[in-house]
Amino acid sequence: MNPQNDQNPLRSEFWNDPDMSELVTEYVQSMPNRLNSILSAYESRHREQLIRIVHQLKGSGGGYGFPQLTAAADKLEQRLRSLNDQDISMAGPELKTLIAICSRMAA
Amino acid sequence: MSELKFNTEERRHSVLVVDDSEDVHRLLQARLRQENIDLYSALEGSKALEIAASESPSLILLDLDMPDMDGFEVLRHLKETSATRDIPVIVLSGLHSPADKVVAFDLGAVDYVTKPFDLMELRVRLRSAIRMSDLIEMLGKLAHIDGLTGLWNRAHFDERWAANIAENHRSERPLCIALFDLDHFKSLNDTYGHPAGDAALQGFAKLIKREIRASDIPCRYGGEEFALIMPETTPEDGAIVCERIRQELAALNWPAHPERKVTVSIGIAGADGAVETSAEQWLADTDKALYRAKKGGRDRVVTTNLTSGQTLEHTKAA
Repeated sequence: MNPQNDQNPLRSEFWNDPDMSELVTEYVQSMPNRLNSILSAYESRHREQLIRIVHQLKGSGGGYGFPQLTAAADKLEQRLRSLNDQDISMAGPELKTLIAICSRMAA
Repeated sequence: MSELKFNTEERRHSVLVVDDSEDVHRLLQARLRQENIDLYSALEGSKALEIAASESPSLILLDLDMPDMDGFEVLRHLKETSATRDIPVIVLSGLHSPADKVVAFDLGAVDYVTKPFDLMELRVRLRSAIRMSDLIEMLGKLAHIDGLTGLWNRAHFDERWAANIAENHRSERPLCIALFDLDHFKSLNDTYGHPAGDAALQGFAKLIKREIRASDIPCRYGGEEFALIMPETTPEDGAIVCERIRQELAALNWPAHPERKVTVSIGIAGADGAVETSAEQWLADTDKALYRAKKGGRDRVVTTNLTSGQTLEHTKAA
């Protein structure tokens, strides 16, 4: 199934872990804000800023039980690092994938 | 005598986490909560160096990829500073390049974990690094311990004696040293065998440990000889401590030979303040006092005050 068309909620691998439930909930709830920052950086072509945010998601995603988030963030980060500020729109596809994942995330 | 505690399981460990991501800190705080570990957090390098120096954590988890001071720079600083040099460091990184691993290990990291880390793996690597560090610390201590008695050994004595003399010259504070020689030790061995001799040495060592103060340094000096360095102690006070030791030993019952007591001759040389005496001369003066104790009939304390030049003898009879 094409990941971009998958609309099913994406649950954390730790959904059943009592130690993690509060943290995962907080993490998921922080996604809308992060998405805003990502889109904002993208639209104003702040490539370095965008890389920072995406890099953080890459580093934390798997730890909160969302390896797909790490994978998507990794791809986008690699892409962004290979581009100039003006060509930032060439990272569009990878960004779309990341946004799709973030939107599906559920505790 | 906290320096001689060997039970490392009792010690509470602490970990300093250095990472610019709040997510990582929150994650680790939740995950490491059930371990017996205190967590310190630093979001950037300079804060990390500050905490490492002041809190001396058992381990540092260090993110390599941080803005401003990056992990490599932090690692370099940690290893160049004597206060933090020996703290084991595990580096965390989202970077995958093998070259970074090499640099990290070369700079002195003990392990390398890539992010996002598998928490189980991180936990066990953390425990392993702490265990290793505890063993190394214990090894360092063991090199200075006498196997039979558990007191400090001669190598440690030499080191501490030189340091205390220097301190006396510098600070002009009182300093006292005692040499103990078990009486008729050879005859004890010949009559009751070496196990009895060993038991006497061990029993005496236990007794010394019980009777001394926290700042005193008890050492096995030779076969049946012991030394006790007493910093911040005048010869008069040193004599009180040693007289107590002498009495306790003379009163002890020995199950292996209840009919026979074990006694000790003690020589003390001390100063009320700074004296010009060298380390060697001071030791020679202590030895002279010990010799006088032996010659005077054993089972007694002879004290020389290097400041006044007086020598006093304390005996049980008097």
